[in-house]
Amino acid sequence: MKKKMFLIVSICALFIQTKAQAPRIDTVAVSILDKMSAMIGSLNSCSVTVKSNYDITSRRLGLVKHSDEQQLFMHGSDKLLVRSDGDRGTKYISYNGKTLTYYSLDRNQYAQITAPPTVMEMIDTVNRIYGIEFPAADLFYPSFVDDILSEATNLQYLGLTKVDGKECYHVAGTAKDKTFQFWIADDAYDLPLKVVIVYTSKEMNPQFEATLTDWKVNPDLPDALFDFSAPPKAKRIKLVSLTASK
Amino acid sequence: MAINIPQQANAQRFNHANFSRPAPTMNRTPVTVNRTVTVNRTPPVTRTEPVSPVNRTINGGSRNVGNHNIEMNRNVTGNEHVNVNPRADVHNHVTVYHTGSFRSQPYNYHPYHPYYWGPRWHPVGFFLSALAANAIRFSIGNQWYYYDDGCYYIPSGGGYSAVLPPVGAVVSYLPDGYETCQVGDVYYYYFAGTFYVNIQAGYQVVQAPIGAIISQLPDGAVDQNINGQDLLVYNNTYYEPISQDGQDAYQVVPGN
Repeated sequence: MKKKMFLIVSICALFIQTKAQAPRIDTVAVSILDKMSAMIGSLNSCSVTVKSNYDITSRRLGLVKHSDEQQLFMHGSDKLLVRSDGDRGTKYISYNGKTLTYYSLDRNQYAQITAPPTVMEMIDTVNRIYGIEFPAADLFYPSFVDDILSEATNLQYLGLTKVDGKECYHVAGTAKDKTFQFWIADDAYDLPLKVVIVYTSKEMNPQFEATLTDWKVNPDLPDALFDFSAPPKAKRIKLVSLTASK
Repeated sequence: MAINIPQQANAQRFNHANFSRPAPTMNRTPVTVNRTVTVNRTPPVTRTEPVSPVNRTINGGSRNVGNHNIEMNRNVTGNEHVNVNPRADVHNHVTVYHTGSFRSQPYNYHPYHPYYWGPRWHPVGFFLSALAANAIRFSIGNQWYYYDDGCYYIPSGGGYSAVLPPVGAVVSYLPDGYETCQVGDVYYYYFAGTFYVNIQAGYQVVQAPIGAIISQLPDGAVDQNINGQDLLVYNNTYYEPISQDGQDAYQVVPGN
């Protein structure tokens, strides 16, 4: 009798536990992200300023916050320019469909590699191989919403709120190793204005926060903007892959 | 010499396995300066999707918009309203008809008088230059809709046009003046030519159930004579004029 009761209680507990852990995917949140992604996917060119703050974990000091400001220019499927300024120095990343150039203004050094033929393939490849980070790159992936859904354990639309005075849809979600929030402008363009990620699987839960401002949709950007000319006395060096360093 | 990639350069912050490449790992070993590498290092160029020569968008176009494979074992909630001022769920229904299993009521012709559900309701095709501030916005497929007091609108010509509701849409409230009706074991809610069922997330637009009896039809129903009987057709649904409890009513009947 006691064994039977224990079995019944265990089954009930398991059922309750399972029900409690069922992930919730809010279709409104998916729709909002879809709208944002569709807008980004329809752009022939764009420019945006990304201001990011990110935590570095220090055993002595705890979480130390750093910041960067990046200006991003994209044109067609094969042109990209990023100017980055912040705690990691000032650098340029330019890509013209054939060559990726990484230029450090502080050291007056540059490295060039042959790159895949599209911006997204280039971003994905060089990030994996060389660890080069592109501002808010996740948002530009054509598979962005599918990628979110494939790892989200919860995804909710939280309502309207404001970022820098602009009304935004606030979407939040969780994955097994992070929590994330997006703020997407409630206007004709539905572009992202803010991203916050908290890495829950890392010690001290470091955060990454980025605000995206001064969006320009389909600006007329000359091809010459994306070509690199080495400044006087700039030294060409090599870009080291992450695997080669091991 | 080689470029020293900043120590804390993170991978893209989300797993992009759906981009057809292995997901980048978050924990990267910092690159040291004193390593020599071969000169001609070419990263693999594996193109998984050919770039269309006519697609000049910055990322080739977003994928699966409105068509995501949300896992079946997930608790997918319906769209929740986005308006700032939540509305009270006012149950001010008019009539309740119980039909049990479908049993065709005797045909009883009566003239069609389009019903008007109040100042905030508009028939299909009606144009508004602006919507109420608390209109609900939702998307089905690639189309955005707005819901306000039982009416559905889409952006059109600088304003909004009233349209038929999309089947599957879920709204959080029913407007004042809705009816309830029962077909078999299922309760339906009816308002202005639209049938709803109550689900966890709210009220979902469904196809008109055969056998449902309702009291009024909106503007836009069309007379059609079938087998000597004048039926009314609204939103591809056939309504047979009947009498119920001494009142004019309509019953949803099969189209053939």
